[in-house]
Amino acid sequence: MLENHPRLKELRYTLYRIFRNPSAIIGVILLLFFICIAVFAPYIAPPKDLDRPYMMPRAGYTITPQPPNEKNIFGTTEGQYDIFYGIIWGTRTAFRIGLFVITTAVIIGVILGTLAGYFGGKVDEIIMRLVDVVFAIPFLVLAMAIVVSFGRGLDIIMIAIASIAWRSYPRVIRSAILSVREQDFVQAAKTMGVSDIRIMWRHIIPNSIYPVMVIAFMEAGSVVLTAAFMSFLGLGAPKGYSDWGQMVALARNYIVGPADDPLKFWYTIIIPGGAIVLFVLAWALIGDALRDAFDPKIRRK
Amino acid sequence: MSTLIEIKDLVTNFYTYEGVVKALNKISLEVKKGSTFGLVGESGCGKSVLVRSIMRIVQSPGVIEGGQVLFHKKKNGKEVVVDLLQQSEEYMRSIRGSDISMIFQEPNAALNPILSIGYQVSESFLFHVAEEMCEKILDELNSPNDHTFFPIKQFLKYTYRVGSSDSKAFVLKLFKKIPFLKKWDKRLKKEALKRSVEIIDKLHVPDPEQTVKSYPHNLSGGMKQRIVIAMALACNPDLLIADEATSNLDVTVQAQILELLNELKKEVISSILLITHDLGVVAETCERVGVMYAGSLCEVGDVNEIFKDPKHPYTKALLRSVPLFSNEGKLESIEGTVPNLVNPPTGCRFHPRCSLVMEQCKQEAPELKEVGPNHTVACFAVN
Amino acid sequence: MAVFISRRLIFLVFVMFGVSFIIFGLQMTFSPERRAMVFVTTPQQSKNIPVLIKKYGFDQPFYKQYFTWLKEVSKGHLGYSLVASDSVWRAFLRYFPITLELTLFASPCIILFGVWLGTKAGQKSNTAVDHFTRIFSIVGWSLPTFLFSLVLLMIFYGYFRIFPPGVLGDELSMLVYGNTSEFIRYTGMFTVDGILNGRLDVTLEALKHLVLPVLTECVVICALLMRVMRSGMLEEMSKDYVITARAKGVDKQTTILKHARRNALIPVITVAGQLVAALMEGAIAVEIIFNRKGIGWWMASSAIQLDMPVLMSMCLFFAIVFVTANLIVDIIYAYIDPRIRLS
Repeated sequence: MLENHPRLKELRYTLYRIFRNPSAIIGVILLLFFICIAVFAPYIAPPKDLDRPYMMPRAGYTITPQPPNEKNIFGTTEGQYDIFYGIIWGTRTAFRIGLFVITTAVIIGVILGTLAGYFGGKVDEIIMRLVDVVFAIPFLVLAMAIVVSFGRGLDIIMIAIASIAWRSYPRVIRSAILSVREQDFVQAAKTMGVSDIRIMWRHIIPNSIYPVMVIAFMEAGSVVLTAAFMSFLGLGAPKGYSDWGQMVALARNYIVGPADDPLKFWYTIIIPGGAIVLFVLAWALIGDALRDAFDPKIRRK
Repeated sequence: MSTLIEIKDLVTNFYTYEGVVKALNKISLEVKKGSTFGLVGESGCGKSVLVRSIMRIVQSPGVIEGGQVLFHKKKNGKEVVVDLLQQSEEYMRSIRGSDISMIFQEPNAALNPILSIGYQVSESFLFHVAEEMCEKILDELNSPNDHTFFPIKQFLKYTYRVGSSDSKAFVLKLFKKIPFLKKWDKRLKKEALKRSVEIIDKLHVPDPEQTVKSYPHNLSGGMKQRIVIAMALACNPDLLIADEATSNLDVTVQAQILELLNELKKEVISSILLITHDLGVVAETCERVGVMYAGSLCEVGDVNEIFKDPKHPYTKALLRSVPLFSNEGKLESIEGTVPNLVNPPTGCRFHPRCSLVMEQCKQEAPELKEVGPNHTVACFAVN
Repeated sequence: MAVFISRRLIFLVFVMFGVSFIIFGLQMTFSPERRAMVFVTTPQQSKNIPVLIKKYGFDQPFYKQYFTWLKEVSKGHLGYSLVASDSVWRAFLRYFPITLELTLFASPCIILFGVWLGTKAGQKSNTAVDHFTRIFSIVGWSLPTFLFSLVLLMIFYGYFRIFPPGVLGDELSMLVYGNTSEFIRYTGMFTVDGILNGRLDVTLEALKHLVLPVLTECVVICALLMRVMRSGMLEEMSKDYVITARAKGVDKQTTILKHARRNALIPVITVAGQLVAALMEGAIAVEIIFNRKGIGWWMASSAIQLDMPVLMSMCLFFAIVFVTANLIVDIIYAYIDPRIRLS
């Protein structure tokens, strides 16, 4: 009976465990929400200039930001960039950053980790030392150094972050390989003549996929955070580009309004900032729920 | 022989994802003073749940839902009958380790790897006989041989006087937070350590002085189990519960430990409740035995009786399945598998696998009825 | 033990070489002209570029430049920082105490709060404390440090008018940065120097300016710490020796503190290295937003203005901090876990 197939039952149980967690449900809903916005961006906020859709349209050239009104639903930032437009298209930017960086990082990290675990010996040593060195420098510091060397721009930031973010994965994969390699059932498979690659595929990958997934989801969020910060510093997207970090940068001079109404320009910070937080939260909630779902100790009570 | 502990209609359930696991189905049994009671059954039949329910250390999602656990406790020379299920947690804490002790299956896991052996055994003393030890130290301080520096002596006399009446006094706890004063219990700890060495020695652990300074990973499996037993026996409990205590040890070590337990029974403990799935161990060490299946007791009686003349179909099948040296031929096993306790079989839980099954067995659950002197069986076919 | 430490030190040296190699390599992507440009401030000076190239050896092959740089570093010449208008070393001595102050005030709060709440959450799973900790952890993780700082600034400084940015108010800044005979900067940390100079008003003012930065760091790092502590405790609570302790009659508090938590601290200490790194990264954001000129601010400004000697030196510095933190972590490990002591 397909119903009682053990793998399917495990999968259903896993899904149950994930969704029993209210935070997972919130996370998935949030993520779906953002996906919809990203996909339907051209319809929700039609671009004025079809060649450069990511540039936020300007409702004038006055410096001071304008509060939310009819024309600009979320108001405008310094230089009259429409916040609403920036948020919508910024969603696409955020996804681009997150997906590109994480996919690249996972691929590099898993390959290196597999090589290290599989071949062992000198290869293992070299790769692990390299990982240690990359770990030794705080993420942000190294990212800034790379960006400085190669110039500014969103693409550079993405490459810079990706070239550091892979560091979390080799250790995880390598330890999974090492632990599975020694286990009896692998020895048994070997004596039965099963090829190495098949062993890796059927036994090792399934065991190490879960922690990789958990890390990937949690890092997706923090990658976006780092990129946002670097854009905030001015190392990222050019002024007026639809990038949430960039939008917060534009608000820098307006943190505190005039003496009688200090929170006057709240929307320049809170709205783009809120978008960042919610986006990262979505990934983090799902990652957290995944971790709880896969944790063998909490699994079976 | 009088009763030490009597369990009546104990019910324990576990609330899990898959449903409610009805682990204990109205268990009733009695352990007499000075005897060894063996509890046998297959894995998963509820033996561990039973003893943990007695000590009320059942882990969530388990809940004790009904019944009584009547413990005959000696208090100030008189005997009091207490229902353990009704007592407060603090009361249970004082009972655990001093009146009723338990030792577990995995000696490796039962010892905390980062604390010294000496500390872990001392804990038993420090939490139960602290007052007595304080009194002893107070006597020492008052004796003419003691030459402690006067002001310190007065301070210590004060602290130990307080300690001898209430070791958990607020004042003493307060002192623990103050830099110099917190050392007041040094003598207490030394005394506890001394007693630890004594009891470890009693368990034939070589070089007890050195052992107390070492850590669990320095010892072998058999030694670790002895330490675990030492921790359990530290305060001369009335009842020692051994939950598969020898199952993970190799046969020679197992024999040593069992002999040790027997020896100690005469001196130190009163009764032992031995849980095992090994019938050989039961035959060697127990006077009475109870057979459990899927959360219910099938048969209870004296060891000789049961082994000679088992009445319950399950007991008979169990005894049959133990391979004898003299037998030849196929290994006997019991048909079927242990039931899922979320949906246990109706009526008698053994009926799907029973060769003597009748209609009544599927409707009602049989109760334990006497079939001989001190011999009860729960089976419609027998009664 | 000695073997341990020496192994770690060798590792440190190795890491420093690796790090400096990478950073230097990045620097080499600049053309010699571009690198000389960093020293040029006026159009007239741009005529001197070839001279500058020759002077600093920008046209030399990679390995030669690297060795020259190594030589200089070993002599203690870390270069000149344009951002600070001072030698890198002297600028470092000026900026480091500011960051150190922040770290010193933030760390105890983080450790105490994180460990305490994490323990409580782990021992009482599915209660209010547990849920609060989980939410706090996730939200804290999702909050960008710079954004949180901005919001705090907006609310507390903008709206409530307390806790201003900067290190000291204008008045006292003039006092401490200017005249050296009236106020001697012994340590460079104003909270301490205030006391040492007998100027408690300086100390109080410095503390006032520290509240928001420390709060930011606390929230962000606590989120991490709490999560690891909680999961460590959850795991420990189901361990056999914890149940044995209960069966022995050990009281609840001792069981939790001595038996469960001490073991749970082991994975927490493992991530201590990561926490230190996060602390440093947080410092960068916090210093920029709150306008405190510490090494975080210095680093970011150097990155924006392409001040390479600073970046190189700071990467080295961070590597040293990281490896030292790991060394300390290993020593603590050996202290807590006797199994490690002997191996």
